[in-house]
Amino acid sequence: MLKYALKRLAFLPFVMFGVTALLFACLQHLTPEMRAALYVKDPRQLSQLDAVIEKYGLRKPVYVQYGIWLKQVAHGDLGYSETAKMPVADAVKSFFPATFELTLCAFFPILIVGVFFGVLSAVYRDRFIDHVTRFVAITGYSLPSFVLGLVLLMVFYGHLHWFPPGRYTLDTDMLVHSDSFRHWTGLLTLDCLLNGQWAAYVDVAKHMVLPAATLLYIEVALLLRITRSSMLEELTKDYVRTARAKGLPERVIIRKHALANALIPVVTLSSLLFIGLLGGVVITETVFDFPGIGRWGVQAAEQLDIAGVLGSTLLAAGLFVTANLVADMLYAVVDPRIRIGG
Amino acid sequence: MIRLLLSASLLLGALPAGALAAAVKNPDTYTYLTINDSDSLDPAWAYDTASDMIILNVYETLFMFDKSSTEKLVPLLATKVPTKENGLISPDGKTYTIPLRKGVKFHDGTPMTPEDVRYSLLRFMVLDRAAGPSSLLLEPLVGYPTTRDEHDKILPRVWEDVNRAVAVRGDDLILRLPRPYAPILGILASWATVVSKPWAIANKDWDGTEATWEKFNNSTKEQSPFFERANGTGPFQLDRWDRRTKEIIMTRWDGYWREPAKIKNVVVRGVNEFGTRKLMLQAGDADVIFADRPLWSQLQNIPGVKIIDDLPTVQMDPMVFFTFEIATVGNPFVGSGKLDGDGIPGDFFADKDVRKGFAYAFDYKSFISDVLHGKGVQATGAIPFSLPGHNPKQKAYTYDKAKAEEHFRKAFGGQLWEKGFRFTITFNSGNVPRQTVCQILKRNIEALNPKFRIDVRQIEWPTFLDAQKASKLPIFVLGWNADYPDPHNFAFPLLHSKGDYPPYQHFKNAEMDRLIEEANAETNMTERKKIYAKLQALEYEEVPHLLIVDELRYRAQRDWVKGWFNNPIFPDAPYGSYFYTIYKQ
Repeated sequence: MLKYALKRLAFLPFVMFGVTALLFACLQHLTPEMRAALYVKDPRQLSQLDAVIEKYGLRKPVYVQYGIWLKQVAHGDLGYSETAKMPVADAVKSFFPATFELTLCAFFPILIVGVFFGVLSAVYRDRFIDHVTRFVAITGYSLPSFVLGLVLLMVFYGHLHWFPPGRYTLDTDMLVHSDSFRHWTGLLTLDCLLNGQWAAYVDVAKHMVLPAATLLYIEVALLLRITRSSMLEELTKDYVRTARAKGLPERVIIRKHALANALIPVVTLSSLLFIGLLGGVVITETVFDFPGIGRWGVQAAEQLDIAGVLGSTLLAAGLFVTANLVADMLYAVVDPRIRIGG
Repeated sequence: MIRLLLSASLLLGALPAGALAAAVKNPDTYTYLTINDSDSLDPAWAYDTASDMIILNVYETLFMFDKSSTEKLVPLLATKVPTKENGLISPDGKTYTIPLRKGVKFHDGTPMTPEDVRYSLLRFMVLDRAAGPSSLLLEPLVGYPTTRDEHDKILPRVWEDVNRAVAVRGDDLILRLPRPYAPILGILASWATVVSKPWAIANKDWDGTEATWEKFNNSTKEQSPFFERANGTGPFQLDRWDRRTKEIIMTRWDGYWREPAKIKNVVVRGVNEFGTRKLMLQAGDADVIFADRPLWSQLQNIPGVKIIDDLPTVQMDPMVFFTFEIATVGNPFVGSGKLDGDGIPGDFFADKDVRKGFAYAFDYKSFISDVLHGKGVQATGAIPFSLPGHNPKQKAYTYDKAKAEEHFRKAFGGQLWEKGFRFTITFNSGNVPRQTVCQILKRNIEALNPKFRIDVRQIEWPTFLDAQKASKLPIFVLGWNADYPDPHNFAFPLLHSKGDYPPYQHFKNAEMDRLIEEANAETNMTERKKIYAKLQALEYEEVPHLLIVDELRYRAQRDWVKGWFNNPIFPDAPYGSYFYTIYKQ
């Protein structure tokens, strides 16, 4: 297993090289004037467009610029992100923990709710619970996240004043930036607990409720549908019929036999879902003013912040390869017939 | 995606607002939610409203404008405002003596010295980053706008010239200008920000010597210790700039040389989504939010929120610029590139009748009433009504179909009317007023003659820069915001052949250039106004662009915010502001 994992991870640099080379190839279609837009944002700066192009070496051929960037990377420097206003490595370190924390908060509820109700829906097919879960799945699948996010904000913040947007209030802000506060893990909720700051923990958690709830409602739909259909398929197979004929209790058939097989596509989907969340949930982060990696990545792309785009792409590529590897390993756990690494 | 978010926020606006208790929330903290993120807090680098607003409150200049005035200056770090009458401006208008205030301390507790002031002005000029603000002091003080030539090489006389221009004599700062420059005091009030020389040196910034200045010239912003830290003399200290949460926190400086500020903390935070900003204002977690005119109707009748309207601006936006020499080869915006009914030739807008036809075809009144809810007056010249030099008696074009037709019939010796034309007007995406301007022009001009066809296309800013640089845009719709409140800051960029727009338009008028230079050298405002009146009359006749509106802005704030006043020259006015006088009650 370890050998297999290492072999897969060894491909990571090649994937990243391929992705960044592709990005640079795409950039060949942009003129120096277009790329100068990152630095020239105001008509007052128009007269100095040439000076900006000169300063940032935007007239150099793309392969030269790629070479310079690779050389920087080799020295551990991923460049400077104009949109984040900090070096790319710092930006990743700065934005990723917030997204990771939000992902953790949303992912496990999504997994539990999705699998549980997916199974329930399949077992009680065409009954009340099935209709309810299908309704939830369809609305969640079709409802734009910005609409749901804004409605939740309006109700739970605008009217009830329970869950505010942003990351924390000013008091918590002051506290987490004070010298006495130690950032043990980078995950703010956990760090608040480890520092014994209960009020700050509640404050940070309160700020995560609505974005996590939005993600739960939107993202659970697909998982629920896949679990249901996979489970339905398994329940019609011969081995289930045999088990029933043998007189095994239905509970055992569902839990020990059908569910294990039904989970294989669910594992794949969950890993993709997890990567998707980690890569940043742009709209949710924007609506809730949550400082995550998705918001930064999109701003970098919109403003042609090449270093920023490359940084967030590298992160996404790394996450994708790693999460796929984890998914492959999980197959073996859920289905012992699958052996890897041999 | 932005459009979808906007639609959702409109939906949100239709829902009833929650009632709030009248008690002041967070009485010690004033929170402003904006959409812009600061670029750098280095006064010599920053050239964006978000950064300049922070700098305004953390640092100080020699003078500032008296409350809402854009003409009257009051001393700040200086003790007197120089005039010819008080003898602090030499009779030839080239030497300024500025007495400096004593007893002023930087936030680190060190006293401000005349050398700090001299260093600050020199630093502002010699850093001269590409597309930065240094030209604003270089131009009046040394006579040229940049320290480098077109090949990016440093000019030989820069050090000598900046040192001749800025000197210290006792407790006075002496400025020696190469020629009289009327707007200089207004420029100093907006841009001559004083930093601490010892602090800069201690933090490895420029040491103030000839030996090292070139190393700091055109450097990158993150190299500067002033980028994210500050040590000014202003009423607020910079506590922290959290670039992750897009939040800047300032705290009151109790050692301030005047009475300390009334509010203890100021938080400026970037929140891009309007719906979120509105909810936070409604909940009292924000005291003021950025919201431009298209969002005005969504902020009406919210309990506890006050709208202050009809606030003047120092800007011209939108404006329609004509390109006199269009590059037609490989240009998708000009159709066939010929006057054959399916395109336009490169000199299409060089014909004055075409420009006048466009000027008479625009419905100015409808634009102001429908798009700006009547909040604006038609612009009558390049100089806005909030500035001296604006001529209220200047004639302006009105929507007149008959006159538009008359000029189009005369254009190109009558061929234009016979053959017709087709081309594309562009605006940068996401700007609703500019888009509406294009659509009005299209509708009205196409109604004149079925052979006239105009396509409207939104383009992204990078595409715009590319096309504009290559002179491919027959018409482009943009605007201009003032750097300092002086008519020269509109006349030069909009009308001088070496200004900001005319080179891209390939527009040059020798008489206009002469008038602008003459007005700039004239220090008597009455005389200057006469020259600007002539200039704007010529502008009306030549029509290098269409002036649409002098816009009035509004501000949405909680009703517990007191002490705010508007000065349109403040960066980000009227949303962001000078926080010194603000308190909550």
